[in-house]
Amino acid sequence: MHFICCIKQVPDTSKVKIDPETNTLIRSGVESIANPYDMVALEAALTLKDTCGGKLTVLSMGPPQAEQVLREAISCGADEAILLSDRAFAGADTLATSYALTRAIEKLAQKTPVDIVCCGKQAIDGDTAQVGPGIATRLGYTQFTYVTEIKEIDTVNARITVKRKVEGGSEIIRGPLPCVLTVELELAKPRRASLPRLIHSLKSEIGVWNAEAIHGDNQKLGLKGSPTWVKKIFSPPFKEGGPRFDARENPRQAVEDCLKTLLADETFAFHLLKQWGQ
Amino acid sequence: MPKNSKGIEVAKILPEKCIGCQICVAECPVGAIEMSNGAAVIDPEVCIGCGKCFEVCPVEAVKFEKKRSPKKIRKPEEVAQYARDNYRGVAVFIESFNGQGATVSWELIGKARQLAEKLNTRVIGFLLGYEVNDSAREAIAYGCDEVHVIDDPLLRTYISKPYGKALTDLCKKVKPEIFLIGATPLGRDLAGIVATNLETGLTADCTGLDIEEEKNLLLMTRPTFGGNIMATIFCEHHRPQMSTVRPRVFKTPEKNPARNGNIYCHVLEPPHDKLPELIDFIKDVVSGDGVDISRFPALVVAGKGACDLETMPLLEELANLVGGIVACSRPVVEAGLMPYDRQVGQTGKTVAPKLYLGIGVSGAVQHLVGMQGSEKIIAVNADPKAPIFNVADVGIIGDYKKVVPVLIEELKKRKLRN
Ligand SMILES: Cc1cc2nc3c(=O)[nH]c(=O)nc-3n(C[C@H](O)[C@H](O)[C@H](O)COP(=O)(O)OP(=O)(O)OC[C@H]3O[C@@H](n4cnc5c(N)ncnc54)[C@H](O)[C@@H]3O)c2cc1C
Ligand code: SF4
Ligand code: SF4
Repeated sequence: MHFICCIKQVPDTSKVKIDPETNTLIRSGVESIANPYDMVALEAALTLKDTCGGKLTVLSMGPPQAEQVLREAISCGADEAILLSDRAFAGADTLATSYALTRAIEKLAQKTPVDIVCCGKQAIDGDTAQVGPGIATRLGYTQFTYVTEIKEIDTVNARITVKRKVEGGSEIIRGPLPCVLTVELELAKPRRASLPRLIHSLKSEIGVWNAEAIHGDNQKLGLKGSPTWVKKIFSPPFKEGGPRFDARENPRQAVEDCLKTLLADETFAFHLLKQWGQ
Repeated sequence: MPKNSKGIEVAKILPEKCIGCQICVAECPVGAIEMSNGAAVIDPEVCIGCGKCFEVCPVEAVKFEKKRSPKKIRKPEEVAQYARDNYRGVAVFIESFNGQGATVSWELIGKARQLAEKLNTRVIGFLLGYEVNDSAREAIAYGCDEVHVIDDPLLRTYISKPYGKALTDLCKKVKPEIFLIGATPLGRDLAGIVATNLETGLTADCTGLDIEEEKNLLLMTRPTFGGNIMATIFCEHHRPQMSTVRPRVFKTPEKNPARNGNIYCHVLEPPHDKLPELIDFIKDVVSGDGVDISRFPALVVAGKGACDLETMPLLEELANLVGGIVACSRPVVEAGLMPYDRQVGQTGKTVAPKLYLGIGVSGAVQHLVGMQGSEKIIAVNADPKAPIFNVADVGIIGDYKKVVPVLIEELKKRKLRN
């Protein structure tokens, strides 16, 4: 079987802070990492490969340095890596991203037909969760989003059964291959690379494809192919907040003052002390 | 201005302002800009000083002295083109589950009405499912002028492909200029399919929507970069302008059963592919009792600062007293003290209770986006500088161990008196 895993290099957003005074991003100490959801997708693809056999190709779109996440994937067990890198891809929104990735998957599929594409549920720098469904739709593959468990893969009948998160619970759903899976963090714990694989990954060749290599329509790539534009960026509105009462000296006084302020609103006081209305 | 060896005054990027959107990379005519560690960098030797990057950067991260003619003024014909004449109306996807409309759909109808009034147009509902006529009438009562329904047994349960195709077909027929979908698991799964099929722009998980006056474009605001900053996004040349919107961001409008509206039924043209089949649905077993924190009028929210076993009964008592339930921030879930279903915030639930009482919650952005809609916010925190105080209506600075017991006592007293 042929598995493909899409991986994005992202800034570690959990370390990004806003300087409240200058209203700018504090970047120092923020490194680029592989999107954590994608590493779970990689683990899912590796496990599938372990059980069914076959080949795993990892795919990333980004600047030349994004090669780093692909080497990481190889060190974990991926067989082949392709980096989509070209100025023509720059500034892509989700529509243009799913277009470029789809073109690349189609190209890979010409050589070896693709059975399963694994993506992370979303990328931590954008949180859109749109690229996976975009790829599935363009390729016409079966789409399973928010997958928390791969239950069964039936290679004879080309079917897969997964558990996925839905409103208020989970569903077990079985559908035909080829498919696109987008995975939740709880699906698996990413493995660590072994030393021999790590060394292997450093020596591995990484294919770099530009717009021409994927026969991309320039009108659909990068900024040109992106219907959405960022108009402006701002910090979440800063609020002053209401009065604060210091309880460090005298807790009772502070609590009393606080309740007095709160219950000054009569309807609110009524609801809080009696019962909440509709 | 810095000059390169050819004496050209070059542009420079301020890394602390750059958000890495790569627009400048795409726009630079000579390929002088590269991404490095998430920020754009200009190679001064390649730069020809054209200033394009300066013009396009959305966050003023490019330093460049403009010497050229001022921006050209758009000609009236060009403006007319933006009207996108064939697309009219603000559409809302009405998510329905077992014949019941999802609350977020009604919230969106309320917002759609405001947008439609600014645009002087109508509110359209798109409804898919099986035996969903009641929901169609309800959508009108909440503010739709017309509802387009595809009622078919194949749509009884949600499967991506038939839903995606049916909704795409409706959009192609009805041609709304704006299309809003609730950012529920189902809505997010579906929106990506429809936007890709229609090759239009989709902005995920918006928390704010407005109309820009000049060209009547939809302005979509959403948290990005892990919730650290807000971005306003627009989609100028493609229709519909699509957005998924978080539940509980907008208020549910008043329901008026006497409202008039039209219901149009359309026939399903099913996709030809083999479809997946649903085998089982497993209801979330949440902490034994299946609580949904977003339904409670009051929440006592435990943060990492009040995250120990001994404290929990105290917080339970407080929650009972204010007629609510205990919820928490993410570290409390990570510590295994509360189930994930009780988590408030970006990766947890969005809540908007009448009373939010945060105990030992610092107020990180990712937490705040999930509770800012609360009617009254009280914060108890030992750190006078905790950001939660900035959104709180009333704050108590101090150790919760000393504050909470007194708070319970004083509340009891006042309840008795009433
Ligand atoms: C992508 C992403 C998504 C996230 N999603 C969420 C989310 O959905 N929900 C969420 O909550 N977080 C989320 N987080 C985590 C978030 O960034 C914060 O780390 C988290 O909200 C902090 O929780 P806290 O306020 O309970 O803990 P802390 O930030 O550790 O704050 C503890 C507070 O308790 C106070 N305190 C300590 N001792 C006492 C005492 N004795 N009495 C009174 N006060 C005391 C301290 O002063 C401090 O302010 C997310 C993070 C990322 C990167
Ligand atoms: S000024 Fe012009 S040439 Fe120089 S980096 Fe900017 S866009 Fe490129
Ligand atoms: S356009 Fe501005 S924010 Fe975007 S990458 Fe370039 S410098 Fe950075």
